[in-house]
Amino acid sequence: MMRCLLFSGIALLAVSCVSEYQHLIPTNPDTNCALRIVPRHTEVAWYNASVDVVGKHISGLVLIKHLPDSSWRVVFTNEAGVTFFDIGYSADGDFKTFNIIRQLNRKAVISILRKDFELIIGLPFRKAVYTRFDSGDEVYYGAKQNNERAYFITSKDCASLRRVESGSARKRLVSITMPSTGYPAPARIEVKHHTFNMHIGLTRIQKNDSAE
Amino acid sequence: MRDVRPYLFAMLLVLVLASGISLTLQAQPPGYTVVKNLSAFQERFQKESAKVETIESSFKQNKILLALTEEISATGRFWFKRTDRVKIEYKKPFTYTMVLNGDKMLVRDGQKEGQINVRSNKLFQQVNRIMIDCVQGTILQSKDFDSRVFENEKMFLLELTPKAKALREFFQTIILTVDKKDYSANAIEMNEPSGDKTTISFLNKKINGAIDDAVFAL
Repeated sequence: MMRCLLFSGIALLAVSCVSEYQHLIPTNPDTNCALRIVPRHTEVAWYNASVDVVGKHISGLVLIKHLPDSSWRVVFTNEAGVTFFDIGYSADGDFKTFNIIRQLNRKAVISILRKDFELIIGLPFRKAVYTRFDSGDEVYYGAKQNNERAYFITSKDCASLRRVESGSARKRLVSITMPSTGYPAPARIEVKHHTFNMHIGLTRIQKNDSAE
Repeated sequence: MRDVRPYLFAMLLVLVLASGISLTLQAQPPGYTVVKNLSAFQERFQKESAKVETIESSFKQNKILLALTEEISATGRFWFKRTDRVKIEYKKPFTYTMVLNGDKMLVRDGQKEGQINVRSNKLFQQVNRIMIDCVQGTILQSKDFDSRVFENEKMFLLELTPKAKALREFFQTIILTVDKKDYSANAIEMNEPSGDKTTISFLNKKINGAIDDAVFAL
């Protein structure tokens, strides 16, 4: 009985130690494909946002805007217009919190927001230094980010951007899908965290719809 | 040598007067004069606005992000019924419904619906109170704000400055314009410390028409 338990424990440990990226096989990058498919965000877009995090739900509006000085700003307001946070990325990659309400002003929350939105905008890929990996019918282009790696994933024929991911050496952390057409200004963006229960849904708002 | 002191004095006087004038201009909304007898106004405002039992209107909301030179508008329907019942239904370019009914609040954002007991959250309680007080004419009795009142031929303008730190984090001032004709709210302007502002303008108001209680069902 004891031996059985021990074996199960070791087996479980071994399985949990297996990298979720072990199936990736390094191959030579196809620069043309990478440059064509690399994630980039449109210059300015408003989204209707829906955030579910560990059982709590919050909704609002998100503005993502590329400014003339090449920096990016992300603003989240509630529907009635009250700003919850305003964050930005300078042209050289520095991150700044311009404004955040006290309830969200936590290091861990800011770190999640920073990473999620930089992945949505495609900032980890702007240095254009990618490593290519093949996995089944998919091709991963990875860019190193401190202890993590950001990937954009396409098909073997480089037809379209399938999703964007970030992961540690062993675990997939976040994946972003755009289950609609119109990239780089898709009608819908889904952000899913894999290590805890968090989901962000962004539905693009057409501003001219607001005129009455 | 000529005595320059009178000139210096005159220049100082001009500077002081000029700065005083500019301060006055900054402090007073353009096109409005200050209401001097505040207590008489408060009494009249309370009495007249109490006659507004219901409001049904459409609204236009405009949010301006100053530093980002961005602007977004939304439109929808608005209902108020005395006492303490408000419903705001955003229709374009997104759908979102908020019902305030006494201490209870319901939000529906197209995908999810949730009831919030505003008593359990002080911030919700305060924001809820501001909206209701602005619409039913009791905002000047609120202890959460310092207030100043201005008027022109058609409107009263109430400038509300939050006292509490928690509210000051969200609003630098809230400007409520009230129609002199029927003492109903014409617009609510929320000015944030960053300079961004959101204005909700009430359009095609129907005052004291019948509104079913079911409109505010939670």
